[in-house]
Amino acid sequence: MRRTSFANRGAWVVCVSALMTALAVPTDAQRGRGGPPAPPSPRAAAPVDLTGQWVSLITEEWRQRQFTGAKGDFGSLNVVLLPPARKVAASWDPARDAAAGEQCKAYGAAGVMRLPTRVRVSWQDDTSLKLETDAGTQTRLFKFGPPQGDGGDWQGLSTASWDYPQAALAGRGFGAAPGGSLKVVTTKMKPGYLSRNGVPYSGNAVMTEFFDRFDVPGGDSLLVVTSEIVDPEYLATPYWTSQQFKRETDAARWRPTPCGAR
Amino acid sequence: MRSARVVRGLLGAALAALGTTLAGQAPVIPGAPTGQAPAVDLSGYWTPALHEDLMERGPGAEIADYGGFPLNEAGRLWALSYDPSRVTLRHHQCEAYVTPYQMRALGNFRIWEERDEHTQRLVAIHLWAQTTEGHRVIWMDGRPHPPAWAPHTFRGFSTGRFVGNALVVSTTHMKNGALRRGNGAPESDQATLTEFFTRHGDHLTNVTVVSDPVYLSEPMVRSSDFARQPVDPGAWLYACDDGEQILDRPDDAVPHYLFGKQPFVNEFSTRYKIPLAAGLLGAVTMYPELEARLGTSSDAEGRALLSPAAGRAPETSKATDREPRDGEVHVFPIRDNVYMLVGDGANIVVQTGDQGAFVVDTGEGKLADKVIAAIRSLTPSPIQFIANTSFRSEHTGGNARLGDAGQDPSLLGSFFVTAAPRGVTGSFSDPGAHATMMAHVNVQVRMQAAKAPTAAVPADTYLEDRRRKFHNGDAIEFFYQKDAVTDGDSLIHFRRADVIVAGDIFTTTQYPVIDLKNGGSVQGEIHALNEILKMTVYRHQGEGGTYVVPGHGYLADEHEVLEYRDMVVIVRDRVKAMIDAGATLAQVKAARVTADYDTQYGANSGPWTTEMFVTAVYDSLKSGR
Repeated sequence: MRRTSFANRGAWVVCVSALMTALAVPTDAQRGRGGPPAPPSPRAAAPVDLTGQWVSLITEEWRQRQFTGAKGDFGSLNVVLLPPARKVAASWDPARDAAAGEQCKAYGAAGVMRLPTRVRVSWQDDTSLKLETDAGTQTRLFKFGPPQGDGGDWQGLSTASWDYPQAALAGRGFGAAPGGSLKVVTTKMKPGYLSRNGVPYSGNAVMTEFFDRFDVPGGDSLLVVTSEIVDPEYLATPYWTSQQFKRETDAARWRPTPCGAR
Repeated sequence: MRSARVVRGLLGAALAALGTTLAGQAPVIPGAPTGQAPAVDLSGYWTPALHEDLMERGPGAEIADYGGFPLNEAGRLWALSYDPSRVTLRHHQCEAYVTPYQMRALGNFRIWEERDEHTQRLVAIHLWAQTTEGHRVIWMDGRPHPPAWAPHTFRGFSTGRFVGNALVVSTTHMKNGALRRGNGAPESDQATLTEFFTRHGDHLTNVTVVSDPVYLSEPMVRSSDFARQPVDPGAWLYACDDGEQILDRPDDAVPHYLFGKQPFVNEFSTRYKIPLAAGLLGAVTMYPELEARLGTSSDAEGRALLSPAAGRAPETSKATDREPRDGEVHVFPIRDNVYMLVGDGANIVVQTGDQGAFVVDTGEGKLADKVIAAIRSLTPSPIQFIANTSFRSEHTGGNARLGDAGQDPSLLGSFFVTAAPRGVTGSFSDPGAHATMMAHVNVQVRMQAAKAPTAAVPADTYLEDRRRKFHNGDAIEFFYQKDAVTDGDSLIHFRRADVIVAGDIFTTTQYPVIDLKNGGSVQGEIHALNEILKMTVYRHQGEGGTYVVPGHGYLADEHEVLEYRDMVVIVRDRVKAMIDAGATLAQVKAARVTADYDTQYGANSGPWTTEMFVTAVYDSLKSGR
């Protein structure tokens, strides 16, 4: 009985200490008067600055990305394509696409990030990041919060969130693990091409991207976009790639061009 | 009981409140200090997603497809000269991949942490690659990188730190190797690597940034993706042993193509209907500007890129200076009781033991006192023997001073000194008064002809192909190379320690100083390099094992000797082809026959220039040597 009582006294001490600590540590939400203020906007909470102009570094899958391959030349995509995708690609006809006003099929969200291009990233407002490409003069909008809109165009509907380091409790006040990624999930894209020679993705494709920024000793900054495209209609497995861009300060290199079917 | 329930309830509420409080704080934003708490856990089994560059990473890239690589002229020419048959040479057969390529190779990876047993601090992160049994160690404990004269390995020396949500790794001391599989795109031993590892769920991304002043005009950035495997995929071994692939091939034959003579160079551009220049233009091929650039390209431009640009002065070395040049002598342990001393010109080797120090070469002599002090820091015993690999002054400059440091009054004296006192015949010295200096007889002859002080001239000489000596528990062999850089060169092999001292037959810093006037020759130099390769045994995947101390530069193994041998053979072949076609020396020089090696070894000033080397090769071949 005496031991139980002692144990209870110890527990009380823990309880009281924890409560006092909890009450003594002011949170952002508890600062100020008049009730909890709104949480910081996505822009204010950004763990990484992705804004600026970036130029693609085409160092992988070089031939397929710098030049339009011949019909049926799928490169590494070979390993993920289902037969329906090969059938569609076999009927690729750029002249037909152009005549149908669909010359932007390779410039949709699932294709444009792998083209030779420059991208500009800026905040459209506190909850929307805008990514523009000069290749094809496209604009992607990454909206934080619930999805808005119907999609159905080349760039589809992109939902953004900040993705924080995985380590337990990192970035939650328990240690120095700053940083994070921009996570973008894009759905409801108008069917387009994964590569300029007609390898298709469907309207049901879901693309998940992580945007990371790395600062290289010597001054360069890199934007690396890791992407996964899931498309049960055309792809046998998730299609994983990563694209790298180098930060540029020379805005004069920005040269918007129209889409080209070839 | 009721009280206990209340306590439990309150405790729960308190902890919940504390958790909410802490979780409600704003995320840490950039600018916060970098911590060593793991921000990303890489442990586990990983399989590369081969959704990019499948052909390159599997069967291999096509000849002349160097698009997307910022190769400079030297890099492009090195690649175009490369013949994939080179891997039939036995010393090339088991070479591992350099790290930037290893991360893009086929095969699974295993990653695990090494933690201190007592503190549980993260000491290192290990990566094991299935192909080539590539074991990388990324040191996380803050240790510095080795000095410039330390050995290189295919994996290099890596240190890491967590920055934000990434593991950032810095790697130096890599060997030269391939940036791309099979088509010759090179990476030099001067390359450094920065990597970023990030993990998003079961998707690991590795970004490599290669900076290579020798072969790249700007950093090369690639990214590779890996999928986490829940179970051990097994098959982690990749056994390799070399053997003869082509019998009766001369040992001075190295497969390569002369500039402009690569017979398959048009295949890639023809097959894919793209301009020949597209794959050869270097850095611009990475950028959106390529299309516009090719709009002004012609077939003639493409063909011109197959050979060195005419009318240019040779490039100079972009390599790191391996000399400390801080006025100090630095001791680097090699193996067992054998050390390399760096700082007084040419490298010095010291073997220590109860019988007193055995020293190979003595440097320029400018820092002789510090060399002696360094040796005394290794052993209290006097210097017993000094061996010279050559008569050249940067190898013998400290002979007299170090010889005097060999004075040992405790010795009772030698019978021979009374029979033939030193200074009278020059044949023997008193071991109590002076270290015994050994070399091939031609070293003695050359130094006496140059009127070197008697105290600096080796008295204990040999005439035949091999001299042997057992000292401090090791068998030490001298192998005479009759016409390499001079006519008095010795390779000195510490057999138990398995360390070969090569003198100026092999350096990592410059073209070989083939001294025709003093008996050197290009054929003799190639022969001597092959003699080293006959003695070396690698430890694993073409590296380690026998160490080779160069006359100048960093501590090496057979891989560096091999690449150096290949270079001398290839340059010889180019010069010989031009001589056979009737070219004059001026025409050979104008052809820039060393263009792919000049950014590594070249010099346009100083005691040994690229032009002097090319002249030496030309004159040597013209005189049938």
